[in-house]
Amino acid sequence: MAKSFKLEIVTPESIFYKGDAELVIVRTMDGDEGFMAGHTWACKLLNIGEIWIQEAGQSDFKVAASAHGFVDVKNEVMVFVDAAEWPGDIDLSRAQNEKERAEAILNRREKAVDQTDEEYLKAKISLNKALNRMKVAKGGRRAKA
Amino acid sequence: MAGAGNIQDIKKRVKSITGIEHITNAMKLVSVAKLRRARSTLDSTRELFNFVTESIEDIFHNADEIPTKYLLTDKDVKPSSPCYVIITSNRGLAGSFNANIIKQTEIEMREAAGKASIVAVGGKGRDYFKRRGYEIVAEHIRPPENISFVDTHEITRPIIELYDEGKVDEVVVVYTSFKSTIEQRVTSVRLLPIDIEPDPEVSVVDKYVEYDPSAAAVFNYLVPKYAEMMIYQAIVESATCEHAARHMAMDNATNNAQQMISDLNLFYNRARQDAITRQIIEVVSGAEALE
Repeated sequence: MAKSFKLEIVTPESIFYKGDAELVIVRTMDGDEGFMAGHTWACKLLNIGEIWIQEAGQSDFKVAASAHGFVDVKNEVMVFVDAAEWPGDIDLSRAQNEKERAEAILNRREKAVDQTDEEYLKAKISLNKALNRMKVAKGGRRAKA
Repeated sequence: MAGAGNIQDIKKRVKSITGIEHITNAMKLVSVAKLRRARSTLDSTRELFNFVTESIEDIFHNADEIPTKYLLTDKDVKPSSPCYVIITSNRGLAGSFNANIIKQTEIEMREAAGKASIVAVGGKGRDYFKRRGYEIVAEHIRPPENISFVDTHEITRPIIELYDEGKVDEVVVVYTSFKSTIEQRVTSVRLLPIDIEPDPEVSVVDKYVEYDPSAAAVFNYLVPKYAEMMIYQAIVESATCEHAARHMAMDNATNNAQQMISDLNLFYNRARQDAITRQIIEVVSGAEALE
């Protein structure tokens, strides 16, 4: 059994998760990255993606959908994200609606006017979020087929 | 007859004061309920954000790669264009709640050199400073208990933008902090620039820290987040204080009204007694005259 560490996942609404974990995988800007006990101190930004938690003594992973945020790795790991959801809490029809709405905007606009084109960027983000939610609801990227 | 008129007057006053007492009492009960709700929000926000703000503060203290624009470099230079985020309530009848905030802001403005701009959260503060010709860069007058964390993002972002553009070189939040239901204190906190004084309570650990994508990117994300959380917490705290202050004010008003009613009832009874006595004297003296 690997050494465990204290993991806290915090959103603006609640403490989403608190417990001992052996491994947590989060989506940084460069892709998925896993942290185990004794990792070098780090502070990384997180992209929209999945959070995988392997709790102490468990072989299975818990998965959650997450929005942007950051991870602070010290002796304990603190993950702060703007939003997080367990697969069971995801409202699929809402995600579907949001996906369609964002796609409609993106189709109409085709490409961003410039770097600060908010409508376009926002639509892109909400499309990402919706797709991510739908994926996590089905078990996530590591789901066994 | 003068006596009868007096009795009528007293009756009218008692009636109107009773009406006022009903209103203040109702407002008191409402604020009790609102206070309870606001407190539970406050408690959970405090618990929640403590983790995050502590973690961010730790990072600030341990890093030497913070973009210098966010740092307090020279303590002796007074900011030339400070920005005050003043958090007041939308409604009155809360005792000296808003007046205290305004007073404190004015003191700070006098001390700071340069032209101050204001971000007003809450209608009372906005009205006051607008009347006096201050520059209000943004105003948010939704009821504070309905401001969510997402809304705070909208409040904070323009402030950070102003700071990034150099139009504002100091950001101070003035709000009422909640100590207990009977004690609230006006507090002002400087959000930016961040002063990383070697804090004796925070042990600086010389450890290598990985930043991803880069230290600058991480701090450009964290600093606004931090500001957002501090402002959100200030709003939640201020809302709690508003209800506590209103509860106190309305409690006093209700007590005063009850005192006035009981005084007036005494006068009323006396006046009534006088009138009766006078009538008896009239009857008796009339009867005596007939004999």
